[in-house]
Amino acid sequence: MLSVLLIVIAAIFFTGIIIRAKSLASGRKGPLIMQPVLDVIRLFRKGAVYSETTSFVFQIAPTIYFSSVVMAMLVVPFGQSRGVLSFNGDFIFFAYVLALGKFFSIIAAMDTGSSFEGMGASREALYSMFAEPAFFILMGSLALLSGHTSFQEIFAALHIGSQISYALAALATFVLLMIAMIESSRMPIDDPKTHLELTMIHEVMILDNSGFDLGLIFTAGYLKFAIYGALIVNLFIGVIPYEYAIPSFFAIQFVMAVSIGLIESFMARFRMSHNPQFIVALTSVSLLIFFGVLLILQKFM
Amino acid sequence: MIHVLLITFLITLFYMAIANRLMTYIKVLALQGVLLFFVVFIQLNEINTLNLVLIMLETIVFKSLAVPLFLSHLLKRNNITREAEPFLPNFVSLVITTFIVVITILISNTIKDDKLDKIFFVVALSTLFFGLYLIATRRKIITHVMGYMVIENGVFVLSLAIGNEMPMLVNLGIMLDIFASVLILGIFLNKIGDVFKDVSVDQLSNLKDY
Repeated sequence: MLSVLLIVIAAIFFTGIIIRAKSLASGRKGPLIMQPVLDVIRLFRKGAVYSETTSFVFQIAPTIYFSSVVMAMLVVPFGQSRGVLSFNGDFIFFAYVLALGKFFSIIAAMDTGSSFEGMGASREALYSMFAEPAFFILMGSLALLSGHTSFQEIFAALHIGSQISYALAALATFVLLMIAMIESSRMPIDDPKTHLELTMIHEVMILDNSGFDLGLIFTAGYLKFAIYGALIVNLFIGVIPYEYAIPSFFAIQFVMAVSIGLIESFMARFRMSHNPQFIVALTSVSLLIFFGVLLILQKFM
Repeated sequence: MIHVLLITFLITLFYMAIANRLMTYIKVLALQGVLLFFVVFIQLNEINTLNLVLIMLETIVFKSLAVPLFLSHLLKRNNITREAEPFLPNFVSLVITTFIVVITILISNTIKDDKLDKIFFVVALSTLFFGLYLIATRRKIITHVMGYMVIENGVFVLSLAIGNEMPMLVNLGIMLDIFASVLILGIFLNKIGDVFKDVSVDQLSNLKDY
């Protein structure tokens, strides 16, 4: 239960902090930290407009996308306390329930019949497909290291002791952060500020959504960031008592949001053809994590 | 600590596989020299002044200062364009490099030998193969020198894998090798650059006896 509460609180501020960091870095004052949430509340008060060429798929897709993200949020633990759902192999559930939501947003984009949206959908599918092995090799090697197969047990059993495990934790943080950037379509892969349909990935998929549906999609995006942030926090706070763990949760989320804002201010988006190789490089790095885990376990000497 | 350095070494190989510019290759080569110095320094059992000086000369002075400076000088002097121009797309390079690393891990897992340090062996073998791959798939002649340097780094790590102390003779041999190869290829490249405008491997096939 605790993790759900913390993730929701973090999600409220996360995107606002990113936008504020970007504004300050470019010398502007920036909107309120709460502005993204206020936008979503405004959208929730509106009704949705549906194009005549779309079918029922387009109408149910945002709801399914949002609920898949909420389901994924339920399995994320916080240190010693388990998530609402916790069972063996729940990291596989986590990955595929997110994939289900993504699948529905992809076919909803195809359903509109717009050529731009189909193009964006195909790109999004490609990048998620490349990011999937990285996540599974990473979680698999963590499972191998701790000898358990559910999120809570894996994170509770992780002990960062020797020098090589520091290196592995750093690499795992990097891989998880980059997967978070890919899944929520942020800067090195996708530019959320772009105004040209040809260069969009995620934004072009939701061009036809309006009102309530758009609000749901935005909320799911905010939650997704906080979920991946919570996973990164979990790597470090294994057995720390709550009075230190909860402040460090917010501190790490804050640092993550500020660093994403700074990355987005000072980096250009990759060329579209460079994206796949960057994402596959994550898989290679997580293979090295697997190799390091074999070294720690003395399976390879 | 050695494991961390060696894993960083493998990551530099991945980075090299997707790098676009020749200057990036040179910087990665310099970084590899520094990494190798720290690996050898931690590996040393006793501080022998002569040995230490030799190793510093080989890793820091040669691998990360002299050769990169010489190569970047060559780039400037011959007006070589800054892209690496591989025959295969970078994406394929990355996948092949990953396969090289995985296959060397599998191969070295089958070897049962107590004297051999496995992680050194994995890094050495994959560096060797990656160097060969780099030579085979890049269009410019100067990348042959860089691939050769990568192979040389692989041999260096391999000599660490077998004994825990570097034999002085091997050390001297590698140093002479680097010196001769880089110098000869560099001067050769300068001459070619004076005669022809563009230096590409494709034009080498036009060379023939009359």
